[in-house]
Amino acid sequence: MDTDRQALTALFQAESEEGLAAMEAGLLALESTPDAGEALDAVFRAAHTLKGNAGSLGFAALVDMAHVLEDLLDRVRGRHVPVTPALCTLLLECVDALRTLLPAAIAGKHDLVPEHRRLMRWMAEAAAGTADEAAGAGRRAQGSAPRAVAPDRRTLRVDVDRLDQMLNLVGEIAVSRGRLERALHAQGSGPAREAQEELDRLSADLQELVMRVRLVPLGPVFRQLDRTVRDVAAARGKIARLVIAAEDVEADTGLIGPLRNALTHLVRNAVDHGIELPERRRELGKEAHGNIRLAARHDAGSLVVELSDDGAGLPRARLLERARAQGLVGEGARLTDEEIDELIFQPGLSTSEEVTEVSGRGVGMDVVRHSVDGLRGSIRVDSREGWGTTVTIRLPLTIAIVQGFAVRVGEETFVIPLDAVLECDELRPGTAVQAPGGGVLDLRGEAVPYLRLRHHFEVGGPAPERESVVIVRDARLRAGLAVDALLGQSEAVVKPLNGPLRRVTGLAGATVRGDGQVALILDVPALLREATLRHAAGACA
Amino acid sequence: MSVTATGGAMARPGQYLTFLVAGEEYGIAILRVREIVECGAVTRVPGTPPFIRGVVNVRGTVLPVVDLAAKLALGETAITKWTSVVVVEVEWEGARTTLGLMTEAVSRVFDLGAADVEPVPSFGVPVKLEYLLGMGRAEPKFVLILDIDRVLSPEELMALPGEPSAMRRAGGGPTSPAPSRGVSTPADPLRGGLEEGAVPRGERVAAPAEETR
Repeated sequence: MDTDRQALTALFQAESEEGLAAMEAGLLALESTPDAGEALDAVFRAAHTLKGNAGSLGFAALVDMAHVLEDLLDRVRGRHVPVTPALCTLLLECVDALRTLLPAAIAGKHDLVPEHRRLMRWMAEAAAGTADEAAGAGRRAQGSAPRAVAPDRRTLRVDVDRLDQMLNLVGEIAVSRGRLERALHAQGSGPAREAQEELDRLSADLQELVMRVRLVPLGPVFRQLDRTVRDVAAARGKIARLVIAAEDVEADTGLIGPLRNALTHLVRNAVDHGIELPERRRELGKEAHGNIRLAARHDAGSLVVELSDDGAGLPRARLLERARAQGLVGEGARLTDEEIDELIFQPGLSTSEEVTEVSGRGVGMDVVRHSVDGLRGSIRVDSREGWGTTVTIRLPLTIAIVQGFAVRVGEETFVIPLDAVLECDELRPGTAVQAPGGGVLDLRGEAVPYLRLRHHFEVGGPAPERESVVIVRDARLRAGLAVDALLGQSEAVVKPLNGPLRRVTGLAGATVRGDGQVALILDVPALLREATLRHAAGACA
Repeated sequence: MSVTATGGAMARPGQYLTFLVAGEEYGIAILRVREIVECGAVTRVPGTPPFIRGVVNVRGTVLPVVDLAAKLALGETAITKWTSVVVVEVEWEGARTTLGLMTEAVSRVFDLGAADVEPVPSFGVPVKLEYLLGMGRAEPKFVLILDIDRVLSPEELMALPGEPSAMRRAGGGPTSPAPSRGVSTPADPLRGGLEEGAVPRGERVAAPAEETR
């Protein structure tokens, strides 16, 4: 719980700093135009929010100070107290006082120092209209002890768009770095080559730094779901507790929005469909309250987010029944448990008997998959009936630059994200089972399916005599991709495919190659999923 | 059945950029045009409908390119030295998106006065009536004013699920022209009106608020 509290106070601090800045701006506006009602309202709102938040965290000194401020603002708003430069100064001093009280409160110090008490008295007097303008100014002149300066946090808020631009530029530099290296490589060693090597090292450092700047801690983001859990549980007569294990895990700011979107749906589902009612849980010998665990960790260049609950698990029989009724699964088709679990991602499929306010319309999981696909991630669900469900989302750590492995098929170039590549080899037809569009190859005794990209993407022209195969993997399986030629490894700046291309399956984006041509980046999990589906469809037909 | 089929929406007065699609001159409001670029190498994208020619690199941004002739069911545009990509901005699922329109050639910019717009007759035009916002009077003949919001809407451009995913243009490289029916390559595509309102390729015709990122 300690880390939770920390996350909450960090959030409070950030919000309050913003609030104080808004108050300051509002007061300055008020000073220049004394009848600026909107400015006054903005200051009032910020003060009120600050007071409320501070109260919920038990920061008494902040609450007291904000309370007096609110009283005075209320009098000003009611036109009982005129807006004068002296009043604005007083109010600004109060903002300064709040600014010093904020870090003190977070550090656990909740006492008001005498000068704060004096300030509060002045404000109370001003509110009562008993403050004598001249006397007030005089008192302040002697009373204004050197202001405790808030510790300089040396932070800066930056528009994410600007970071995107920086990242884009850094990415372009990475590409031209590659070009320069190739050009100089031919010349052998020399001063130009040395300079290039140093430039290379420096720009790699810069690239990493720019990426780091974009990282956001996941803890506070997850913490916001606490509310969702509580609200949904309360609405459904359930008790649920969210445990967060994200420690210091950070992720690119670009991932946060879609990830939060996906997790909101998943958490709602977990409470609404997963967790049983308290009586039912007792009957089953479980604790009355449901446990939902949200964990994040880094694993091999990916961010893994796991949401597990100890609820009822997926009702496989009902899932299958629904899917059959909706024609998503053929009558005779036999599905494994994993394949049945996968059905929850089908658009329009919902197992709940009733459409509740929170879920059951069958759109949630579809949205989740879209969010995850949009981040070039993968999602899988594991469920044990009666024991709970775990949803695992795996996302690439940064969505902007990938280490890519370029391959050639006909005259097209495709880039495979390197984190999906296991190894490359020559495709020896004599040792592989051949099928249209692919086959099964013998990888040191293991039967590994392979897909011929030329066939899958319907690239025209004859296949070369010798083909190569790239062994890739996703969360579930290993597979080969047969290509004409291997072009090698390079950094690829991922450019999104927009508009009509946003939903093309099997592609994660595009990248501009050294020669200015656009190459498509493969989305390996989606590609393998599509290959499985196509095969299933072909086998059924 | 009324004579006009544009459902009331008519082209507004203003400056229009015209270009050739399957030999006919079409116009769009210049405010929607970001820039005009030479049609470089187009990379095909598997799993898209035939009228999506692929993607191009415009100074580091990857743009989808719609072949207008194919979209309007007038055949496929053959790539020549005149072929231009008109970069336009459209609203897509709430976000502003830039798309490239592959056209046979860019021809001119003209001023469309309020009195210069004629309703689209119910037949005689080479494309579906709902794609047009009117007939613009521009010497020496009418220009067909395209409703690009309609032509480039998600419903019009998204491949329907279950449609075969393929790179249909079999054989050849990324830029290989594969002309089919209806393609006409004008001998002099810039004929008429270029002296006055010529649009040099590769230059901005409008000054949008933000840079292409």
